[in-house]
Amino acid sequence: MSEQHHASRSRPLRQRNIFGGSGRFGPNMTPMVDVVLVILIFFMAATTIAGQEWFLSADLPEQRDDSDESSGFDLPTPMLDLALFVDVGTIKVRGLGDQALNLEDVLARISGMDPTLCEGLILRLGASDEVPYGSIVSVHDVGTSKGMRVTIR
Amino acid sequence: MRRRSILSDQAGSARVNVTPMIDVVMVLIVFYLLVGQLAMDRRAAIVLPASSTGVEETAQVDPIIIGITRDGERSLNGDAIELDRLEAQVSGMLARSPGTPVRLRADRETPHRFVRPVFNVLRDMGVGKVELVTEQRP
Repeated sequence: MSEQHHASRSRPLRQRNIFGGSGRFGPNMTPMVDVVLVILIFFMAATTIAGQEWFLSADLPEQRDDSDESSGFDLPTPMLDLALFVDVGTIKVRGLGDQALNLEDVLARISGMDPTLCEGLILRLGASDEVPYGSIVSVHDVGTSKGMRVTIR
Repeated sequence: MRRRSILSDQAGSARVNVTPMIDVVMVLIVFYLLVGQLAMDRRAAIVLPASSTGVEETAQVDPIIIGITRDGERSLNGDAIELDRLEAQVSGMLARSPGTPVRLRADRETPHRFVRPVFNVLRDMGVGKVELVTEQRP
């Protein structure tokens, strides 16, 4: 009896391993689950916080203009003067052609313009009170993509 | 049956195993960062317009950020502000650090009648350029 006790005492210390020692067989998943959760949340946070945002640069001309009217004809070149307004729930644009066009048509027209002609062209944007900001940005965006310099009245 | 304790008794030493606690604390920190950011965006209630062109953030200085919700509520660097106080506040900021970029974060549905006065205020202050924050279109 005492020899048995002595033998168990003199046994080398048991090494720790990834397998649990409480009669269960298999790796201990808890640390891995913790780390995976942290990584998952980190990427979710990075996607949300870091970004996907950028900005468009717009000039603010010195001459202040509170009106939403645009002649569209007596303009110094090279300038494209567009005025957005709402007509029966539809966003229209005046200043490109003789009559007002739908916003989508104007975007398509500007997209189809020759980039060499657009380079250096000043796109001056104005809008009536009810025009959503996103519509102004969409015209700004397509103008910028063609190399125009955009100013907002 | 032997009970498991937080004190490790292996090798005759009694030490607290702090690894699970660190894991949990890290998760909590990241969680609060995430929720804080989401809450801030929700409070501002701004859905940015999308654009396929734009300039990535390169500024070394913190920009002046003016927010406008679709209801016309304005904010300056996250704090609500009235239009009549906006000019004084932005003027002070620009006087302290000239050349600071001015950035507009406006909701895509904001009517232009709420945006135009901000442009006019900036124009009157002599700000010749404003950066319109957009969401990158995929």
